[in-house]
Amino acid sequence: MTITVFATMTSSCSDDFVSRPVQYSIDSENYFNSESDYENAVIATYDLLQSTFINVLMGEIASDNTFAGGNSPTDVIGYQQIDQMIHGPVNENLKQLWDWMFAGVQRANYILEFKDKTDFDGKNKVIAEARFLRAYYQFELVKWFGGIPMKGDARFSPGDETSIPRSSVSEVYASIQNDLIYAAENLPATPAQKGRATSGAALALLGKVYLYDKKYDLAAETFGKLIATDRYHLVKTADLTTQQINVGLTPFGSIFEESGENGPESVFEIQYTDVEGASYGQLQYSEGNVAVGFAGPFGYVGPVFADGNNFNLPTPKLVSAFEAGDLRKEVTILDMVAWIAQNPGTSYTKQNQDTGYFNRKYIPRKRRTEAAGDVKLTSPNNYRAIRYADVLLMAAEAYNKSTAPNDALARNYLNEVRRRAFGDNNHDITASGAALADFIQAERRVELAGEGHRFFDLVRTGKAAQEIPGFTANKNELFPIPIEEIQFAAGNWQQNPNYNN
Amino acid sequence: MFFVGVIFNLLAFLDTNFIIHNKNTNYMKSNYLLIVFLMFSTLVFSQSYDIGGTVKEKKSGLSIPGVNIQIKNSTKGTTTDFDGKFTFKGISSGSVVVFTFIGYKTFEYTVTGTDTNMSIALSEDEKVLDEVVVIGYGSQKKKEITGAVSTVDSKTLEVLKPVRIEQALQGTVSGVNVTTQSGSPGAALDIRIRGIATNGDAKPLTIIDGYIGELGLLNPNDIETITVLKDAQAAIYGSAAANGVILVTTKMGKKNSKGKIVYNTYAGFQETSRTLPILNATEYALLLNERYANSGNTIPYTNVSGFGKGTNWQDKVLNKGVPIINHDLTFSGGSDKITYSVSGSHLDQEGIVGESKSGFLRNTARVSLGADVTEKLKLKTNVIYTYFNRRTLPENSNASVLLNAVNAPSNLSPYDTSGNFTVFPGGSLGNEMINPLAQIANSYNDYNFKQINGNFGLDYKITSAFVLSSSIGFKTANSESKSFSPILDYGSGKVFNTTRSSVSQNAVNDNNYSFDLFATYTKTIAENHKLVGVVGNTIYKEYGNGLFATGYDVPNNSWDFADISLANGAPPQGTVPVSSYVYDERRLSYFGRLQYDYKGKYLLSAMLRRDASTKFGPGNKVGYFPSVTAGWVISDEGFFGESSIVNFLKLRGSYGIVGNDAIPNNGYISQLTGEGTYVFDGTLINGRASGQIPNPNLKWEEAKKFDVGVDMNLFDNKINIVVDYFIDTRADLLIPGIPVSGISGGQAPGASNPTINAGTVRNEGIEFAVNYSNSFSDDFNMSLGYNVTMLRNNVTYMGTPFIAGGSFGIGQQAPSRMQVGHSIGYFYGLKTNGVFQNQQEVNDAPSQVELGVAASPGDIRYVDVNGDGKISFDDRTDIGDPIPTATMGFNMQFNYKALDFSMYTFASLGNNMVRNYESVAPDANRLNYVLGRWTGEGTSNSIPRVTTAATTNNLFSDYFVEDASYVRIQNIQLGYSLNPNMIEKVGLSKLRLYAGVNNLYTFTKYKGFDPGASNGAPIGGGIDYGFYPTPRTYMLGLNINF
Repeated sequence: MTITVFATMTSSCSDDFVSRPVQYSIDSENYFNSESDYENAVIATYDLLQSTFINVLMGEIASDNTFAGGNSPTDVIGYQQIDQMIHGPVNENLKQLWDWMFAGVQRANYILEFKDKTDFDGKNKVIAEARFLRAYYQFELVKWFGGIPMKGDARFSPGDETSIPRSSVSEVYASIQNDLIYAAENLPATPAQKGRATSGAALALLGKVYLYDKKYDLAAETFGKLIATDRYHLVKTADLTTQQINVGLTPFGSIFEESGENGPESVFEIQYTDVEGASYGQLQYSEGNVAVGFAGPFGYVGPVFADGNNFNLPTPKLVSAFEAGDLRKEVTILDMVAWIAQNPGTSYTKQNQDTGYFNRKYIPRKRRTEAAGDVKLTSPNNYRAIRYADVLLMAAEAYNKSTAPNDALARNYLNEVRRRAFGDNNHDITASGAALADFIQAERRVELAGEGHRFFDLVRTGKAAQEIPGFTANKNELFPIPIEEIQFAAGNWQQNPNYNN
Repeated sequence: MFFVGVIFNLLAFLDTNFIIHNKNTNYMKSNYLLIVFLMFSTLVFSQSYDIGGTVKEKKSGLSIPGVNIQIKNSTKGTTTDFDGKFTFKGISSGSVVVFTFIGYKTFEYTVTGTDTNMSIALSEDEKVLDEVVVIGYGSQKKKEITGAVSTVDSKTLEVLKPVRIEQALQGTVSGVNVTTQSGSPGAALDIRIRGIATNGDAKPLTIIDGYIGELGLLNPNDIETITVLKDAQAAIYGSAAANGVILVTTKMGKKNSKGKIVYNTYAGFQETSRTLPILNATEYALLLNERYANSGNTIPYTNVSGFGKGTNWQDKVLNKGVPIINHDLTFSGGSDKITYSVSGSHLDQEGIVGESKSGFLRNTARVSLGADVTEKLKLKTNVIYTYFNRRTLPENSNASVLLNAVNAPSNLSPYDTSGNFTVFPGGSLGNEMINPLAQIANSYNDYNFKQINGNFGLDYKITSAFVLSSSIGFKTANSESKSFSPILDYGSGKVFNTTRSSVSQNAVNDNNYSFDLFATYTKTIAENHKLVGVVGNTIYKEYGNGLFATGYDVPNNSWDFADISLANGAPPQGTVPVSSYVYDERRLSYFGRLQYDYKGKYLLSAMLRRDASTKFGPGNKVGYFPSVTAGWVISDEGFFGESSIVNFLKLRGSYGIVGNDAIPNNGYISQLTGEGTYVFDGTLINGRASGQIPNPNLKWEEAKKFDVGVDMNLFDNKINIVVDYFIDTRADLLIPGIPVSGISGGQAPGASNPTINAGTVRNEGIEFAVNYSNSFSDDFNMSLGYNVTMLRNNVTYMGTPFIAGGSFGIGQQAPSRMQVGHSIGYFYGLKTNGVFQNQQEVNDAPSQVELGVAASPGDIRYVDVNGDGKISFDDRTDIGDPIPTATMGFNMQFNYKALDFSMYTFASLGNNMVRNYESVAPDANRLNYVLGRWTGEGTSNSIPRVTTAATTNNLFSDYFVEDASYVRIQNIQLGYSLNPNMIEKVGLSKLRLYAGVNNLYTFTKYKGFDPGASNGAPIGGGIDYGFYPTPRTYMLGLNINF
């Protein structure tokens, strides 16, 4: 018996026993076998766009547009430090931004690494989407951190941080521009679904990247091409539905309400919903716009709006930047004192750095009954990443700064925006040259207030040090590489200038 | 292939059984011949006496069957029968008759004449060195044990009356620390043997009758002994033994014993062991006025005269006289070939918070059977069925019932004038705080668990020296749970409001089996050299699946209709309200052990185990785990002589490497398990994305265990001392989700960082245990026990700068860290130095403005740790850790005539805990220590001012880290046993009544509910989110033996 048993044991219990297949599992290395595999990977690449809420929120806080706010001066330390321009490499929120944007790059590169595996009709469009998204994420990274590590069409794997250097800013821009040129040529003009990147979105982003890269001629040419398609226009009264008119929405005001999402002015819009939320520890999981809930008035009870975390509070300086008669002021700034006076019974609880002002474009609205999850983390408000108004102002800037400036065209674009803002032609700008450039930037400030562009506009125009309290020139133009990343890189990456690790 | 093996084995077994049966008949015949021969030989010696009578247990007076009775220096002997009776005939005058029975002191009687009505009383010998201890794939006499091994026996369990067995290890065994995750009924406990060495799974391996099981699911009364292997002795279990091994032996029937029926029951009442001292309504209103006034705001309550005491929310939420009831019944006995034990138990416990809304009900049944099928083949089987049902309330988060009860303003009443739950205001009370009573009423959930597990083992004695053993163990468990989320409105803006009702139902199926086959060879060479060799093989597989689903729109918004079959509302577009998982993990192991001793004096054992696990990828699956243990019984040496003080002295040491593979599954491959969800056309669309970053180089974590110890018996074995010094170094620590550069996308939704072997943690410590037991007279005996474990934990290497964990307050950085040079999970925050008394002090001190706002008089003064002339977050430092520097137990038992008394106490010293149950909402209530706050120069140098203005006083600092050292009287019990002679008449052999209190009192300076609680997380443990206190239980019980 002994011999029988031992004989069977030795044969049955070979190491084969511990070499079992993993059930119901899709191995990432055996994927991309059909069009739908690519399609599913593209959807997942879009996912990280939702995490750019932190870029918008922190970008706004970093500027002179808003205070950090929150419940107390220590509520989300990372935001508070950026608000005061005392941030250093130890900043959990900058680390989140770094992590999430690189996660987006990684997902795009996953597709591009396997781009030749399986062929099907329309694959160019899929590759173009992946390259558009990679460009979007890398542009965010280069705006915030300067040069970043790049690995071409391949995913990073642990250890690469110690061997792959940070590319120079111009190398990163070159790569982004290549991606966007390809995307502009291969993406459809009209999206198959609302939320998809289009050739127009690629052109707009490309023009913007050229502006940041100070290639004004190319920027002007690109914006010119986009404007010439005539596919977008500023929202005007004729675009409004009866219902929108009945609730008292102006054309500009309608853009930021749910009914105005993905409208005629929307060149690229990041999509959110209120049916699936997340927890405070895992904000990147939320399908809602976290920046919106964070910006809401704390303890708010009353009509139209909903409760929030009191972050990102408009400064009096921003409020006074609006000229008299600017219809955008009321849409951009919620003046709580006035609002409470209009709506008796409304209340909220003043918290840290209360100014009485809230970022009306992006604070939570009353929820639908279908909504689920934590109200503060699950706002459905889409982020209008690139509006046609922004395109017009960027085009104006590009023509104004071109080697052969075309200030007439620049003024046209600028005044197109201003005419809607004031509802008349009396506020047209007639300046030229450097004066016109200043008017364009001033216009960008009020037109795009609360949308996360101000800080980077100030930096690239060299005005940050004079406008942002606490801003240190030759330092705060870039944010520091998170301390963790410097440590992981083990000497491979240098910290940005004048930040001490 | 495995199944083929099993079938072969079964066939082989049936075959053997058949053959042996035939042999047995032959054997019986030869036995007959022997008896005839013996009878013949008795007739030869005619000059002799006869003796006879009964052997009883001295303490209880119960008869003892199976006592060995032998004439000294002869082979002549007999045993007592079922009733403890014996007759022994034909003994020559002057012969010494020796009565021996395991666990009792040997009794000698010199025959001087015929006496057939003797009454022999054997007294228990608790300190016998012949006591056999299970050590894994075998057992050993306690005397010969060379590892650090501790045991807890059924007697201790009978006294402690733990609801879950883990509780019985607290304070009774050195080197073992038990923390409660919650005091709610049925909540899990965490056992840590010799400290925390990993930030992964630090749970010890539990082996029940040779088979991997779960301690918490057993009926405590089914347990005979618990053996804890703390050092390299555990290496025979190689894989998964790094955290130590707990071996459980369940009760078996005794051979040749009369059927015994044991019935135990107790009923008790529970209440909270602590309520926090909270401000009453008047104090609250006055404090709030001061807070508002200090920041220049209008005061909220201009007239506080009518406020009175208001509502004591804790009294509303914490109930008194909450019942707990337990019954268990055991039948056991045995013939000379068969032993059996059949038992059942029932436990029903309600929670001190929410009563039946947080209840626990457990039923167990067990059948254990042992049979000597033939002289050579022994069979043993044990099958346990467990059922339990558990309901819970929200705990340990900002949504917890207790947290709301502690922070709710005492001027709010529980009910409004129409009898509905009062709706709490939002705004400055925060939108998280809701009426805790409403919260209890709105909590609906139910969890049902059924498990059957057991084993089936065979021992085949091939020769007297060579035994082949095999065992099959199995478990199959099913759990179903349901939770109902009704439409709720806690008032405008409250975050827990829901506009749609839903019901979630989960079904989880977990299975495993193991198959062990090993051979034991025992040989004594040249009389003094004893060898025991074991070689074997074990395979283990665990597999299962889970299915989770949610239904929307429950009819009538009612628990009575809460079932997916009725909840037919469409899920929100794009969400997938169902999910599932499967798993299949396996281990294959070979092991060998050689034990050698010379005259029982020099002891040596060596082990080697080879493990292969599915947790690791190709090329890394196999690990080898060697160990050696050695002992020297100094007291057996000639030079030691016959010391009158030291009866026994043994020096022992061990060193070995043990493995650990307790990490998330499939960490070596990359799977598309990430979340890639986006909104197109206003609808959620799900894509596919990578999950955890793979690490193809994952390999076994190794625990290097070193131990030296001394075992000593003194003063006629009345005092027993065990001392151990150990160093447990965990190398190649498997760190799941270790921080790596974000460029690899580990922070994407549904992704995670890889598991990497990247750390070394060292636990060094001393254990000391002393037991004293003495019988002062027939009526009075006592035993005292004390043990202490001192431990130092240190992280000595990490492949990443640090790992942060835990949470504190709102929007603050993680308070706990694992970092080289510190204890695992130490608290990282600002260091304080009193309170600023005046503006001059503020001006003279380094600026605190970088923390968010400049300090004012009455604010906490922080220490400029890095000396850069300003206070910033860079000044954070090590401000304590949750690991106790010493834990100790002190236990005593007295027996006086029919009375018995016992007390168990436990102490934990040097553990810190973080106070994190205080709401930061401006209008929240406060603990009454705030009455001693700073209100002006010289008033307080420890408690800062109150204000609604911005301060940095709520930043994580040592102000919130408290010394949570405590001493707890875990249990006292007083019992009375009725006179055995009296109850014998009604057919009982034992009737004991007792009264006891569990968790009687805790001495501590800690302000929170329970200094002994922890969520068990290695990084982030010791943070008090408002732990559900362990109840104090008053109980009355009855033990009846038939």
